Amino acid sequence: MTVADLTSGSSLSSARQWRPELGLGHRSRAREARNLLARVVMWTAFLIALIPLAWILWTVITRGIGLVLEPVWWNNSQRGITSRMVGGGAAHAIQGTLLMALVTAVMAVPVGVMTAIYLVEYGRGRLAKTVSFMVDILTGIPSIVAALFIYAVWVTTFGLQRVGFAVCLALVMLMIPVIVRSTEEMLKLVPNELREASYALGVPKWKTIAKVVLPTAFSGIVTGILLGLARIMGETAPLLILGPYTANLATNLFGGFMATLPTMINTNRVESLQPAIDRTWASAFTLILVILLLNLAGRLVARTSKVRN
Amino acid sequence: MKIQSRRRLASVTGVALVGTFAISGCGSDNNSSASPSAGAAKASAVDCAKGTLSGEGSSAQKNAIEQAITDFQTACPGATVNYNPTGSGAGIKQFIAGQVGFAGSDSALKTKPKEGASNIEQADADKTCGSPAWNIPMVTGPIAVAYNVKGVDKLILTPAVTAKIFDGTIKTWNDPAIAAINPGITLPATPITVFFRSDESGTTENFTKYLNTAAPKEWTAKPAKKWTGKGQGKEKSAGVASGVKATDGGITYVEWSYAKDNNLGIAQIDNGAGPVELSGAAVGKAVSAAKQTGTGNDLSLKLDYATKEAGAYPILLVTYEIVCSKGKDPAQAKLTKAFLKSFAAADMQTKLQEIGYAPLPTDIQAKVLTSVNALS
Repeated sequence: MTVADLTSGSSLSSARQWRPELGLGHRSRAREARNLLARVVMWTAFLIALIPLAWILWTVITRGIGLVLEPVWWNNSQRGITSRMVGGGAAHAIQGTLLMALVTAVMAVPVGVMTAIYLVEYGRGRLAKTVSFMVDILTGIPSIVAALFIYAVWVTTFGLQRVGFAVCLALVMLMIPVIVRSTEEMLKLVPNELREASYALGVPKWKTIAKVVLPTAFSGIVTGILLGLARIMGETAPLLILGPYTANLATNLFGGFMATLPTMINTNRVESLQPAIDRTWASAFTLILVILLLNLAGRLVARTSKVRN
Repeated sequence: MKIQSRRRLASVTGVALVGTFAISGCGSDNNSSASPSAGAAKASAVDCAKGTLSGEGSSAQKNAIEQAITDFQTACPGATVNYNPTGSGAGIKQFIAGQVGFAGSDSALKTKPKEGASNIEQADADKTCGSPAWNIPMVTGPIAVAYNVKGVDKLILTPAVTAKIFDGTIKTWNDPAIAAINPGITLPATPITVFFRSDESGTTENFTKYLNTAAPKEWTAKPAKKWTGKGQGKEKSAGVASGVKATDGGITYVEWSYAKDNNLGIAQIDNGAGPVELSGAAVGKAVSAAKQTGTGNDLSLKLDYATKEAGAYPILLVTYEIVCSKGKDPAQAKLTKAFLKSFAAADMQTKLQEIGYAPLPTDIQAKVLTSVNALS
């Protein structure tokens, strides 16, 4: 035995003593057991997380599919249908939901994206910190508070009617922070080398942002916008306070009641008669479907518009 | 890259636009094939007006007004009437705020300030209208004392016993007090579960008014839209009805139509002149005994809850439409008038009986039509 052998042996044994998992050449039982345990825990957690999702989908689909499969459901409104009658559709509510979502997006997306660009590309110092802080506060505003704020401004202060546009204003407040935060993250992911390469070619900053940074982050930004849209389309509090339900088709955002899917669910929910109960589930299923379709469409847009080098 | 981004922009806007227009383009309001009951013959009887009228309020009259709206819209395709059943309290608030064309309420506008408030509903409404606001009774809805007890098909209640059940003094169904007024009926030892309306409700107000008037010793709490007794709170009429349906031993107060729709047992009420079963005729008898407290065309009614008249069902509510006597917008006023006229018409009122309401007695109906005709 040499000294070297001794030292290496002792160091090996001490290593084994301290960190037995480092033993080379053979797999320790303890490691395997721990691995198995971790795997079991992970899978159980995954399955537990899956239970409510599968349950919700199963319940909503089995109870709602009957009406949703009928073409009348997608074509007609509920005009002239009382809660004890079957028939009619959700066209008025789908149309209202999409219309409000579109108008909200038109207002919220430019503000949100530009705020994010400011925060990532330009913002330095106190102003940027304040803006970032304000966005954090906006994120924390519960939807009912946003709705009551708009009610206080729109109805109490200005004496205007409760209309679809007021709902959109409340939804804008909820959508902006989601867009700002997600766009910000996406812009931060754009490698600085791209920006620097652009500057090196003498391209001004604004052009770099418009032609290099934004296209690179495009698919991520679209995903963020769609997440924001999905969030506001299922939002109920502003609708309950600012957007009363109607059974009729309505396209005027500035006058009269306008139906949306969440308020349609809520209106039928309080009924005890079977036709109304069926409509509750069917409109819930429709809402899920509409949001799902929107997400798929967004994915498609994001995929087809990837920057090709 | 330039071309690409333009194409990209075009595709995004394209998807958005096509999506919106595709859907808004093919929607249809025409559900006439789905409503065969709406007769074409009636169209001639209704004065039509065009436009959109919105109302909000009592959920007790929801089923009735829903039917009236359906028939009115079938007769007048150019008219749209919306009704949001958010409760009497909310309806009056929105009417005073000028948000809706009319309010549905289970009680007339208060002419005295509410407890803890300085404003008077009637005065506020008059101010919004710029003219007196009128209470026009439109439907009478009996309130059923609905129960669900296994094996009990018939139940008789007196005001005193009802009050004791709803304030929690009587706790089980086989309590001697209930047994004494129900000879020959076997009552189980099931505990009583009282369900009440958790939202502000005109039904609660009318029911507590009844208890307070007919059993003043047992029910001392002041009548109010908010429930002060014991029990489990449920939202809206449908909520309490389904609560009772799901609970053996459950009891609640709910509009007749909801009790019927849920196949609940309905107690007979004995106000002193023998048990009275809930029926359209029994309600009509009680309504015609009501006194008018409003002046002129303001038809606020005062019901006699303690009535001892034989065959009159005493627990009921009259639901009003609260409207401006002189509308600010002539088109809206015309539409309101046309709609209320068709609502108060005799054939509409008879039809309401099928869905659990009682028609207005003929003399009151005549007065209602006079008031509606005086709207401008």
